[in-house]
Amino acid sequence: MKIPFINRIRTGGDEPGPECGPATDTPALWIHPEQLTKLPPCQMHCPNSGDIRGWLGIIAQREKTGLSLEEAFERAWLRLVEFNPMPATIGRICPHPCETDCTRGDKDGAVSINAMERFLGDWAVERDLRFPPAPEPSHPESIGVIGSGPAGLSFTYHMARRGYRVTIYDRQAAPGGMLRYGIPSYRLPVGTLDREVRRILDLGVELRLDSDVGAGLSLETLRERHAVIFLGIGAQKARGLGVPGETGPGVYSGIEYLRARKEGEPVELGATTAVIGGGNTAIDAARMARRDGAEVVLVYRRTREEMPAIEAETEDALIEGVSFELLAAPTQIIRADGKVSAIEIQRMSLGEPDASGRRRPVPVEGDLCRLDVDSVIVAVSQEPDIDEDGGFPDIHGWIETGEDGRIGPGLWAGGDDRGLGIASLAVSHGRHAAEAAHAELRGLPAPGSQLPRTPARPGVKPDFYEGHLATSPPRRPEDTWLAEPDREITETLTPEEAAYEAERCLSCGLCIGCDQCWMYCNAGGFVRLNQVGPGSYYAYLSDICEGCGKCIEVCPTGYLSPRAEGG
Amino acid sequence: MRGIRRRAASGWTDLARPDGHSLQDGSRIAVIGGGPAGSMFSYFLLNMAESIDLDLNIDIYEPRHFRHRGPAGCNHCGGIVSESLLQRLATEGIHLPSHVVQRGMESYTLHMDVGTVQLSAPGLEKRIAAVYRGNGPRESEPTELISFDGYLQQMAGERGARLIHRMATGLERTADHVTIRCADGHSDTYELAVVATGINSHFVDLLCGPMVPIRRPEKTTTFICEFHLGRPLIEEILGDSMHVFLLDIPGLEFAALIPKGDFVTLCMLGDEIDDALIEHFFAAEEFRQCFPGGVVPPRACHCLPRINVSTARYPFDDRIVLIGDSGTTRLFKDGLGAAYRTAKAAARTVAFHGVSARDFEQYYWPLCRAIDVDNRIGKFVFSVSGLIQKMRFTRRAVFRMTATEQAGDSARKRMSEVLWDIFSGSAPYREILGRTLHPVYIGSLLWNLVAGNLQPPRQQAPRAESRGH
Repeated sequence: MKIPFINRIRTGGDEPGPECGPATDTPALWIHPEQLTKLPPCQMHCPNSGDIRGWLGIIAQREKTGLSLEEAFERAWLRLVEFNPMPATIGRICPHPCETDCTRGDKDGAVSINAMERFLGDWAVERDLRFPPAPEPSHPESIGVIGSGPAGLSFTYHMARRGYRVTIYDRQAAPGGMLRYGIPSYRLPVGTLDREVRRILDLGVELRLDSDVGAGLSLETLRERHAVIFLGIGAQKARGLGVPGETGPGVYSGIEYLRARKEGEPVELGATTAVIGGGNTAIDAARMARRDGAEVVLVYRRTREEMPAIEAETEDALIEGVSFELLAAPTQIIRADGKVSAIEIQRMSLGEPDASGRRRPVPVEGDLCRLDVDSVIVAVSQEPDIDEDGGFPDIHGWIETGEDGRIGPGLWAGGDDRGLGIASLAVSHGRHAAEAAHAELRGLPAPGSQLPRTPARPGVKPDFYEGHLATSPPRRPEDTWLAEPDREITETLTPEEAAYEAERCLSCGLCIGCDQCWMYCNAGGFVRLNQVGPGSYYAYLSDICEGCGKCIEVCPTGYLSPRAEGG
Repeated sequence: MRGIRRRAASGWTDLARPDGHSLQDGSRIAVIGGGPAGSMFSYFLLNMAESIDLDLNIDIYEPRHFRHRGPAGCNHCGGIVSESLLQRLATEGIHLPSHVVQRGMESYTLHMDVGTVQLSAPGLEKRIAAVYRGNGPRESEPTELISFDGYLQQMAGERGARLIHRMATGLERTADHVTIRCADGHSDTYELAVVATGINSHFVDLLCGPMVPIRRPEKTTTFICEFHLGRPLIEEILGDSMHVFLLDIPGLEFAALIPKGDFVTLCMLGDEIDDALIEHFFAAEEFRQCFPGGVVPPRACHCLPRINVSTARYPFDDRIVLIGDSGTTRLFKDGLGAAYRTAKAAARTVAFHGVSARDFEQYYWPLCRAIDVDNRIGKFVFSVSGLIQKMRFTRRAVFRMTATEQAGDSARKRMSEVLWDIFSGSAPYREILGRTLHPVYIGSLLWNLVAGNLQPPRQQAPRAESRGH
C-alpha cells in the first residue's frame, strides 16, 4: 500500500537556509509595555528646556480634565513661567529652535510654539496675572544681580520665587538690558517688556538703576553686601572693524544706534547708510535705518547661508527694501569734507570652513570697489563691557563659568557675557544658576537634569492624528511696516487660534488619554485613573498584561514603549 | 424564540413608530469598525441603496491603519478565506487582486502523533487561500502588500463611504437618532449605528449592557504568531499546504501553520490558550519537526486575540445592528465568511426593510440564529473529535482511514472530506455531522479501528516507518 506521507522534514545542516534568527526552543519574548515619559523634540531644542508639551497639553486636554478654556490658559501660563518668567517678551523675539524639529513639521507644519508662548504671555499681561507668592519663611541671604537683561531678570525671578531678597543693579535708566535697548519696538513693544519686568520686580525685588558697577560701585562692595552675586552684564561693547576711518562722525555701532533710536535721540544717517555685519544686531539696525528713511545696504563678508541672523528677520529686511552686498568686507571708510562719503570694499570668496563651521571668507586678490554712502553702522560683534578697575576677577572678554554658571564661591554669571546667544539661552542661564546657587546656599545636592532621557521621536506616530494645518501668527500688511515704524508687525493669536494650535501638539512621548491602549488591550491591562491630567490617565497592570505589545503600537505619542527585558 | 418576541411586545413597540424606522434619502449611517464586516456592509448597502435610488451617507469609524505592520494594524486572525467566499465576493464586484491573496492552499497536512498525512482539497470550490489581515507582521520589511482588510476598506471608500479616523467610545440613542461619541470629544448623529468592531476591542463591552440591552458574545483566548522563514524555505518545508496539528494537549482544539509569503502564521485555537499551553505546544515533537533541525524559530510577531464562542443576544436593537464578530461568527473558522453573510443580511435588511429592532428580528436574526445553531452542532463535533484525539487507538483509526483514502482512487473520501470541512470551514457543521452519521462512514471507521490497532504499536521507530515510502 502506497501512502503519500509527507517526508520533507529537513534534518538540518546540509545547506544554510534563509535566516531564521537565533534558534529557540521556548516561545520567544513577550513584549511588555512601559509607561515612560520621553523627551520631546521641542524641549530638546529649547535652550531653556521649557516644558512646552506640558503647557500645550493643559490647553489641548482641557476637556478631559474639566477645565474651561480660560482656566486652561491660566494654568498653562503658570506652567510656562516655571521656566520662563517673560513669555510675552520671549514669545516675540525668540527664533524658536523648539519648532525646528517638531514632529508635526513633516505632517502639516510645526506647532506654532513661539506664537503660543506670546499668546499666553499677552493673555496674562492683559489680565494682570501674578506669579504665585514665594514660600514663607524667606531665606536670610541677600542676592545681588548685576544687569537687568534676560539673564539677570531670570536669575532674579527664580531666586525671588525661592524666597530670597534680590537687588538688581543696572547702569541704564530703565531695566531690560538688550531687550529694551537692543530690540526695536516693531519686534518688541516697550510696554510689553515693562509689564513683564514689573511683574518680576513685584516679587519684592529692589531695582537700583543708574548703578554702574565698576564706575563708582565696585564688585567687592557688592560682594560684601550680598551672599551671592550674579553677573548678567551681557555683551554691551561693540567690536570695531579695525579699518581706517572707523572713528569719527557718521560711523556708529549697531547697539549704539539702536539704543539711541529707542531713547528717541535723533541719529543723522543721511540718504544712504551701510550696515556692516550679518547678525541680528545688523539686521535690526538695517531695518531701523529703513524706518529712518535711509537707503540701506547691508555689507556682509560671507553669503546669506552663513548669516547668523534669524532667517525670518533677514527675509523681512529684504521686504523692507534693505539691499545686500554679500561677500564684501570694508577695508576703509572714506570721508570727504569730514563727512562719510564712501566705503571701500574688498570682494571675498568662501574658503575652507573655520572654527565656527562656516566657510571662511578669503579676499579675492585685487578686487576692490567703492560704495558711496553717507553713514556707516558697524554691527559685526559685541563683547562684555568690563571695567577691570571695578574689581572683576581676571575677566578679559568672555566670562568663563561652570555649566551651571558658577565662577567661584558666591559668584555666578549668565547670558551674553558667557558668549553671544539668544535671549532664551540667557533666561536658561539665569534659571540654572538660580537652581544651583539655591542648592549651594541651602546645602542641597547640586540639581541634576530633570529632563527625560529617552528621546520621544522614534515612537511618535503622526499618522494617528488628524491633519490640521499650522496657524501662522497674523502680520499686518507689508506696505504699512515702514509707515508705522514703531508698531509691531506680528500680531497675537486669538484665543480660538491658540486653542486650535495647542490641540495640534502631538504630545510626543507623553500620554494624552486617547484611550487606545485601553480599547485594544484584550487582557484589560489598563485601568483609567480617577484623577486624570496630561501624562496621567491610565494605570498599567503588569500582572494582567499578556505581552502582545499591541498597546505600544497603537500609542500615538510613544509614551508606551517596550520595557527592557528584566525590567 | 419566545423571549425575543416577548421583548418585542414590550420594549421595542415603545420606540417603534407605525411606519417603523426606515432610511430616507440623505440618511446617515455610522459604521463602527472598518474591518471586513464594516467595509463589506458599507459596500453592499451603498450598492443596494443605489439600486432603489436611495441616497445614503455612510461614515466608517476606524482609528487604526491597516497599512501599519504588526498587531495594531491587523485584525488578528489566521487569515484563511475559502474559495467559495472569494467567488461570492467576485459576484459582488469585489475581485481580490493576486497581491492581496498571499497563497492558495492546495492541501492541508494533518499532523498527529500516529503519523502525518496530506489531504488534497476535495474539490475546486473547497480550496482555501491565505491572506494578511494587516500589513504583515511586526518588524517585517515594508512591502507593497495590501491586507485583505485594507483592500475591502478601500473598496468601501471608493464606493462612497467616508472613512473617519477616530475611535468611537460611546453611543447614545433617542427615538430618532443615534449619537456616536469619540475619544477625542468629537460626536455626530446618525439614523443607524452598525457595530462592526469585532470583539478584540472594548467597544462591545462599552455598548452591551451600559448603552443598549444586548448581551455581547462570550469569548475565549487564542494565540497567533508569525515566524519568518523566507519564501524558499517555506516552499520546501510547508509547501502550499496548511498544516493542522491534532494533538492530545488539554485545552487545545487544534493548531494550524499557514504559509504566507516570507512568513508562516501559527494559530492555536482552544479553550483559553495561555502561556503554559503555548509552551506545551511549542515543545511538541510533531510541531517542532516542521522546522529545520526540529527547532522552532523565534516569533516575529504574536498576539492573543479573542474569538467568539457564542452569539450576541440579540445582535440588534432599534437603530443598532451588530455584524461580523461583534454579533456572531462561525465557531473556530471562516470568520470572514460569517462577516460576509452577516454584513450582507444586515445591509439587505437596512436597505429594503428598515432599521427597527423588528426589522432586524425578522430579516437579520434568522441568519445569526442559523449560524448559532450550527455552532452548537460544531461544539458537539469538536467534543467528539476531542475524544478521538484523547485516545491513541482512535487516532490511529482516523489516521489509517484518511491515509488509505488519500492513497486510493475512490471518489468518496469520507474521512478526508470530514476532516477537510472541519478544519477549513468549507461546510456547515450540521452537514459534517450528517456525513459522519452515514453508515458507510461509521462502518469504515470501525474497520479502521480494528485494522489500525491489530498490529502492536511499533514503539521503536514508529515515526520513521509510518512516514516510510
